[in-house]
Amino acid sequence: MKRLWNIFKQGIIFENPLLMLMIGLCSALAVTTSVSNAVGMGVAMTFVMLCSEIMISAFRKVIPNSVRIPIFIVIIAAFTTIIDYVMQAYFPELSKSMGVFIPLIVVNCIIMGRVEAFAYKQKVPDAIVDSLGMGLGYTWVMVGIAALRELLGNGTLAGTQVMPASFQPILFFTMSPGGFLVFALFISFNIWLKGRMAKAQAAKAGAAQEDAA
Amino acid sequence: MIKQFAKLGLILAAFAGVACAGLAVVYVATKDQIAANAGKQLNESLKDLFAEAEEFAPESLESPDPAVAFQAAYVARRGGSPLGIAIKASGPSYGGDSVLLVGVGLDRRLVGVRVLENKDTPGLGANAASPTSYVDKAAKTTFPGQFAGKPISEAFEVKKDVQAITASTITSRALTKIVKAAGGAAGSWLERLAGGK
Repeated sequence: MKRLWNIFKQGIIFENPLLMLMIGLCSALAVTTSVSNAVGMGVAMTFVMLCSEIMISAFRKVIPNSVRIPIFIVIIAAFTTIIDYVMQAYFPELSKSMGVFIPLIVVNCIIMGRVEAFAYKQKVPDAIVDSLGMGLGYTWVMVGIAALRELLGNGTLAGTQVMPASFQPILFFTMSPGGFLVFALFISFNIWLKGRMAKAQAAKAGAAQEDAA
Repeated sequence: MIKQFAKLGLILAAFAGVACAGLAVVYVATKDQIAANAGKQLNESLKDLFAEAEEFAPESLESPDPAVAFQAAYVARRGGSPLGIAIKASGPSYGGDSVLLVGVGLDRRLVGVRVLENKDTPGLGANAASPTSYVDKAAKTTFPGQFAGKPISEAFEVKKDVQAITASTITSRALTKIVKAAGGAAGSWLERLAGGK
């Protein structure tokens, strides 16, 4: 149980795909202009990652090493297309506003990276936990960036007006340079948080040592 | 060696085959819903433009502008006599093709413009489709809303007779171009209608 919890935790802060591994940034910066897009992208990514990691981990013994990449792509592409159809059918508005970024999940390096580095070598329960941790880590960063950008750049939050009417939206945050700035702020925050947590852990270990002495 | 290749190929083919089968199932399951969504949106927009119309008859029109393609056109009728024409036209915009539904009445004025598809930057160009993003805050006019009641003979020039969306000149110009092309085609259709009957 403890082992699974540790795997899950990795994706959220210590190995956060966006803030620490820094992969899959293109679509992350592109769709974080509104909270609803960020939630949609996060859920879609988590779904594709979960299904792909389960499949690849379950079949890892029958996937030959030399053709593993094409097989990964076939599996990831199939799940991406499935979520694309489902969104078009049942969430047409969301699907429209996400545009090309849903089909592009196929080549998202986060999924490819986790599948290659983790699912292909680990058991199914570990792969499930890893994909959920990574998915949650991806989603919280997406929603956080999007909330800040939407609030400052458009004066709204998830589509509802929250800023007073006198607030002049700062368009800069909606455009790419603003995206980079907010993204950088999140990276610094995560590094600070990680440093603090490591320090706290070291202090705890030190105290335990003293007690023993 | 050949045997090894054949084995790898077969394994890859097996995975691809299973993936295809799965996709086929999902495609069949969602196909009708996706088509219904698109049809419903078009229908609602048509009814929205011509609230009094009883039926919409398909009509084929040529686009006067090579950059703008007409996907469909519908003559709105009530009791057999036409009320106007709605043209579903697409043209390139900032983030890919945009699709508009442009309605023109018998008085040679635009009845209205509806944005059916737009893939431009969220928060900027995509505001063209937002019902709460105004180009004229005092009058609460949206970008497509400003075309309602405009004579099709006007110049359709952004920043002159057409108000642009803030920081989205490319989107504004692209959409205006589609409206202009549809307006022109509707104009010649109205002339044929007046001359032919």
